[in-house]
Amino acid sequence: MRTERIDELLLVRYLLGRLTEEEQARVEDRAFADRDYLGTLNAVEADLIDAYVRGELPQADRRAFEWQFLTSPQRRSKIEFAQALSRVTAEVAKPATTWRALLDPIRSWNPALRFAGALGAAICVAGGSWLVVENASMRSRVSMLEAQRRDLEMRSQRLQRDLAAQVQSRPASEGPRTPIVASLVLMPGLSRAPSRTEQLVLDRGVQVAHIEIQLEPRDEYPRFRADLRTRSGKEVLVLGALVPHRTGDGYTVSMDIPASVLATEEYELGLKGLGDGQDAQDVGYYYFRVQKR
Amino acid sequence: MERPLLLGRVHAGRGMAVELTQEAFDKLLDCLGPDRDTAGGRYLEIRRNLVRVFEWRGCSTPDEYADETINRCARKIGEGEEIRDVGTYCIGVARMILREMGRDRFRQVRPLDEAPEPRVMPREPESDPEGRLECLRRCLGQLSPETRNLILHYYHGDKGNKIRNRKSLTELLGVGASTLRMRALRVRERLQLCAEDCMQRRNGRAT
Repeated sequence: MRTERIDELLLVRYLLGRLTEEEQARVEDRAFADRDYLGTLNAVEADLIDAYVRGELPQADRRAFEWQFLTSPQRRSKIEFAQALSRVTAEVAKPATTWRALLDPIRSWNPALRFAGALGAAICVAGGSWLVVENASMRSRVSMLEAQRRDLEMRSQRLQRDLAAQVQSRPASEGPRTPIVASLVLMPGLSRAPSRTEQLVLDRGVQVAHIEIQLEPRDEYPRFRADLRTRSGKEVLVLGALVPHRTGDGYTVSMDIPASVLATEEYELGLKGLGDGQDAQDVGYYYFRVQKR
Repeated sequence: MERPLLLGRVHAGRGMAVELTQEAFDKLLDCLGPDRDTAGGRYLEIRRNLVRVFEWRGCSTPDEYADETINRCARKIGEGEEIRDVGTYCIGVARMILREMGRDRFRQVRPLDEAPEPRVMPREPESDPEGRLECLRRCLGQLSPETRNLILHYYHGDKGNKIRNRKSLTELLGVGASTLRMRALRVRERLQLCAEDCMQRRNGRAT
């Protein structure tokens, strides 16, 4: 009995009251003898009710359905439940349909293609994540450098204002006097790029060029050495044992260079970190142009 | 015995309402099993099957017809009739009642304007779609996420979509279509029972 094929169309006709008395009896006898058959009959009944609720039954079947199903409270209750279920599945399953629409074509791929697709997706996700992290880190670093640059510019302007104030407060009889010190502040990152060259103007009376280099947090050395060369590579000056000192929220190395050794030219200042008993480590190279007037 | 008179629908036949004595009922139980527990279980199974048959055949009050069938069987047993399989016998009696019912129905077909006014208006079930929906949502919430996902996706969509959904589910769960269908049906039946129970409690509170 169990191996017999189940004719579901026959079950639909049974449920719609379209079988003869003998056929009906055969369906019922088998349903009570075969658990699988009974299960299928119940499933067909549920599908028929769902089709009715969704308006998917042809007119003739619909009429037969109403004749058979709207008579008992038990069946009316099943129909009302099916209506509720239909509403709930429609509203709850909505978000999944978009995903399913995307995933359905993938499901039809063969396993090798699926594996390749999954691998590709994983690489894209990993690459995308790395780019996002890297981008965020870069943005944060640029913002920090920008803030430092603004800070230094403000300091430089303040110094110039102070200088101007001193010049104004000097007695008129003394005449205009040129400052003996010219300052230049070199920042990490920006000044280290040869494409951007800072300008140091040395007026006729200037005797000393004061150069200040902003250090980065990673430049943790007890002492530094500065090698000053022209852009053509001619060594000008070496300043050793430069000790970093704290300014604001960072550290700087500063040095005074006699104006007499500088000419109107472009220079490269190499800064090296000196550890205890270690070779000098390159910290960075800074570029500036001297303009003598 | 007063029953709703449903015009154009199946209703109780005139030969119904056979009285059942305690003695006849005891003899019926004796035929169903060696002890009361076994007999009680078998009795419930036979009654459930009878209710199903009357429901499948489109009767308006399957429970009453099932009781009527059992009463007639019990009376036959009480009269000393030897019955080998009570279940099969009861199904036979049920079919006889269905034939009687069909004859009654045929006899009573007449134009609507000639039909008598119903003595008792058919009682419509409490229709509270929103309440039923709320109960169903609550019952769904009691299911495990896997089971809830299964039922929602199995019954979601119309025709073509439904077929695709079910195919995806069989692949996802690694089961055959018929296994999936039975699994979904069992969950549906559980859900319906839960929702009916919830509705009854809800209506009980309302009254």
